[in-house]
Amino acid sequence: MMRWSKFSALLALCSLVLGGQAQARLYDDVVASGYIRIGVYRDFPPYSYLKDDQPAGIDVDLGRAIAEDLGVEFRVHWITPDETLEDDLRNNVWRGSVFDKSDENPLALKDVADVMMRVPYDRDYAYKRDDQGLLINEQVVMTSPYHQERWQLAFDSQKLESVKTLAKFQYHPIGVEVDSLPAFYLTTALQGRMRENTRHFANPRVAFDAMKSGQVSAVMAMRSEIDWLLHEDGSVRYRRAENGFPSMGKQAWDIGIAVREGDRDLGYAVDGVFERMISDGSMAGLFSKYGLTYEKPSLYVTTP
Amino acid sequence: MKRLGLSTGFAVTALVAAMSTASVAQAGVTDKDILNDQMTTEDVVSNGLGPQGQRFSPLTKLNTKNVQELRPVWSFSFGGEKQRGQESQPLVKDGVMYVTGSYSRVFAIDVKTGEELWEYNARLPDGIMPCCDVINRGVALYDDLVIFGTLDAKLVALNKDTGKTVWKKTVSDYQEGYSLTAAPMIVKGKVITGVSGGEFGVVGKVEAYDAKTGDLVWTRPTVEGHMGYIYKDGKKVENGISGDKPGKTWPGDLWKTGGAATWLGGYYDPDTDSIFIGTGNPAPWNSHMRPGDNLFSSSRLAIDPDTGKIKWHFQTTPHDGWDFDGVNELISFDYKDGGKTVKAAATADRNGFFYVLNRENGEFIRGFPFVDKVSWAKGLDDKGRPIFIDENRPGNPAAAEKGSTVVAQPSFLGGKNWMPMAYSQDTGYFYVPSNEWAMDIWNEPVNYKKGAAYLGAGFTIHPTNDEYIGVLRAIDPKSGKEVWRYENYAPLWGGVLATAGNLVFTGNPEGYLLAFDAKTGEMVYKFNTGSGIVGSPITWEMDGEQYVSVVSGWGGAVPLWGGEVAKRVKHLNQGGSVWTFKLPAKAAMAGN
Repeated sequence: MMRWSKFSALLALCSLVLGGQAQARLYDDVVASGYIRIGVYRDFPPYSYLKDDQPAGIDVDLGRAIAEDLGVEFRVHWITPDETLEDDLRNNVWRGSVFDKSDENPLALKDVADVMMRVPYDRDYAYKRDDQGLLINEQVVMTSPYHQERWQLAFDSQKLESVKTLAKFQYHPIGVEVDSLPAFYLTTALQGRMRENTRHFANPRVAFDAMKSGQVSAVMAMRSEIDWLLHEDGSVRYRRAENGFPSMGKQAWDIGIAVREGDRDLGYAVDGVFERMISDGSMAGLFSKYGLTYEKPSLYVTTP
Repeated sequence: MKRLGLSTGFAVTALVAAMSTASVAQAGVTDKDILNDQMTTEDVVSNGLGPQGQRFSPLTKLNTKNVQELRPVWSFSFGGEKQRGQESQPLVKDGVMYVTGSYSRVFAIDVKTGEELWEYNARLPDGIMPCCDVINRGVALYDDLVIFGTLDAKLVALNKDTGKTVWKKTVSDYQEGYSLTAAPMIVKGKVITGVSGGEFGVVGKVEAYDAKTGDLVWTRPTVEGHMGYIYKDGKKVENGISGDKPGKTWPGDLWKTGGAATWLGGYYDPDTDSIFIGTGNPAPWNSHMRPGDNLFSSSRLAIDPDTGKIKWHFQTTPHDGWDFDGVNELISFDYKDGGKTVKAAATADRNGFFYVLNRENGEFIRGFPFVDKVSWAKGLDDKGRPIFIDENRPGNPAAAEKGSTVVAQPSFLGGKNWMPMAYSQDTGYFYVPSNEWAMDIWNEPVNYKKGAAYLGAGFTIHPTNDEYIGVLRAIDPKSGKEVWRYENYAPLWGGVLATAGNLVFTGNPEGYLLAFDAKTGEMVYKFNTGSGIVGSPITWEMDGEQYVSVVSGWGGAVPLWGGEVAKRVKHLNQGGSVWTFKLPAKAAMAGN
C-alpha cells in the first residue's frame, strides 16, 4: 500500500520506542577501530556504483579520501533507497534496518554507516518539524557540503535542433525516472501540457538508452547523471539543453553528509577534508574525471 | 538453537509424538476440504474459515451463556529477536496448528500441548525494503503442503510434517519493490496470490500456480492495458489485455507503472466460480499527475479461476487522490428480497463507504457510509460512483508551495483497513472493525529522495473523538443501519470472527481478546494476551470441546504513522505469540 503516506510521518519518534538503537561509533572509536563505514547509494552512477565488481563513483572516491585522511581502512556501506531521505537516515545512520537482527547474536551492533554521503545540506530540511513540533531529523547532523546539484536535460540533436524552452515537449516525447521530481514536474507543470509526452523509466540510464533507440527525444535527470551519460556515450549527437525550468520550486540544492547527532567530531574531520579538496581544486578534478560539471556548494560561493 | 531455514533440535522427538497423536487422519488437504471448510468444524484449512471468507463458524458449544468459562490452555511464543506486527490467522488440521510470524516465519504447533513441531525461518536478502512493517497474514494448506508468501516476494511450499521446502517460486522481484504478506488461497488445486508493493512503479497482478508443483498457470495484471498470460504445456500464451486498450483511463504512459497492487489477497465464491480480489491505490500518489479513472486501481475484480480473465470490476474510488486502497475483502452472502434470493457480496472500503454488489455481475445494489463522517464525497450515485467534493481533494504538490490544508475523513489508513470483517449467517449482519480518524494533508516542497529534491505531501492523522478511534460495528447490509457498536480507545487492527453461538470475537491493540453478543453488542468476555492483537481469531472443535485461537503481537501500519494517533499507541508493547483457549466440556454442559 501507500507510497506517499510516509512522507512526513513521525517515524523517528515511534521508532525510538520500537527499535533498538544502533550504538554510535564516535570519532575516536572509528579511528581506533582502523576502519570507517561510508554509506553510499547502491547502483547510483555516477555517484556510487560497482565497476568491475569494485565500488566506484564520486561519493566512493570522496569516502576513500576521508578514510585516507583519518588513516583508516575504507569500508563501503551500500544503501538501498527507501521512500524518502528520512527513511534512509533512519535505516543507515542512526537506527539501522529492522531486518538487521541476528538470533544467534542478539546483542550484535547494528550495521550502519559512520558517514552517509549525498545528503542534502538544507537548513529548512535539517530543522523541519513534525505536526507535534518535534524535530524530524534530530538523530543526525547534516553537515560538510561538497557539491551543488541541479536538474538538466539532454536531447537527441537528430530529433530536435535545440531545446531552449520546455514547450517542445508538448510535441516530442521525453524520458524521466519513475517517481522522481522530473516525473512530477513534466506531468503537472504548465497545465499538464507535457503530460502525454512524458515517458517513465526505471532510472536515467534506461531513459537514455530509450533516447538512443529513438523512443524519446530527450531525457531529464540530475545534472551529474546527464553529464555522466553524455560522457559515457561520447558522441556529439546527444547534447545538453539550455532550457530553464519555470515555476519549479527548487532549481538547485547543496549536497553534504550526515553523521549521528552525537558524533559531530567526525563531521568536523570530514569538513577539513572537503575544504582542502575544494580550495586546492582536487574536488573539481575528481568530478572532471567522470566528465561532470562541478559546482561548489553555496557555502563556498563568495558573493561580492 | 535456531538455524535459518529449519530449526530442528527437539523437533524430531516432538514430530514422532505428533505423528502418533495425529496418525488417525494423515490425509492431505483436498479441494473438497477447503470448499467445505466453513461446515467442517474440527479443522480450519483456509484463510477466512471457508473460501468465501465469511469468518463464520456454525459451532454453538461456546455461546453467550457459557463464554465466561472460556479459558486459556496454552500460549506459544514465536521467540527470538523478531517481534513487530503479528497479523496471522492460524490454520488447524489433524491436531497441528500452522501459523506465521513476522519476518516470514512459519510454525507448526501441536494443538494439544502447544509444543513446537517445526519452524521455518525464511532467509531474507540484505537491502530488502517492504513498505509497511514485516508482517505476514498466514498460510494455505493443500495436500501435504503448507504454502506461504515471503517478504522477498516468493511463494514457499513446505512439507506439513517436516517443514522442509518442497518448492519455492519467485512471484516478483523484491528489488523492484515487491513483497508478499497476504495469506495465499487455494482454488481448484491452484495457489492464488497477489503482490504487495505500492511504489517504484510496480504493477499489481493476480497469479495462479499449480499447488503441487509450483508451476505458473496464469498471470493477470490489474492495471488496464497490460497483457495477461496463460501457460499451456509449458508455453506462455497471450490471454487478452486487462480491460481496454492501454492509456484509456491513464494519461501518457503512466499505465505502465500504475500501481493497483493486490496486497491483501482475495477470496473465492464457488457459486459463481469467481475469485474476488481488491486492488490498491494508483501510482504515482499525486492524483494531479494522472487525470482519469485509472483502472483497475482501488477496485474489486471478479476473476475466472481457470483462465485468469476478469469477469467484471467495480471501482470504489476512481482517480484516487487519498490513498484509499481498494483492497478490502469482498465477502459473498445471500439474502432474501421479497422471497427472491439475492446472490450478493459486500465490502467495507477504506474510503468510508460500505457497498453491496450483485456478485454475479458486479452491479451496484446499494451503498452507504459506515463511518461517522465522509469528507471527500457527498455520497454515491445510482451506479455506486462517488460524488466528489472537489475542494476536498489534496492539492497539487507541483504547485511548490505549502498551499492550503485539506482535511480528509476517513484518513488514508481507512474507515476500515486490512482487518477482515465477519458475516453471521444467523443474524445476517456484518461485523466491521473500523476506525474514526481524519487527516490533514498539505504540500511539502522541502523534501528529498536519493540525493534529489522531491515534492511530498505532508500529513497528520488525528482521532476525531477523545474517547475512541476504533469502532466495531454490526451493520445490516439490507438497511444500511448500524445495529450496535463497540468503541475502543486505540484503533482496531485485528480481524473478526462470528459464531452460531451468538458470539462475535475480535482483539484490540490493548491486548484483549474480546467477545460480544452478536445481537446486542454487549461485551461478554475479555482476556488480556499480553501484547496487542492485530491478527484474526479462529474457532474449531477437538475431542468434543470448542477452541478459540488468536495471535498476539502489536505492530503493523498504525505505529509507523505518528501524529496524535501515535500518542495513543506508543505505550503498547510488542510481542509474538499464539494463544489458544477452550471451553472445557464440563462448563459447556453447565451452560446448556
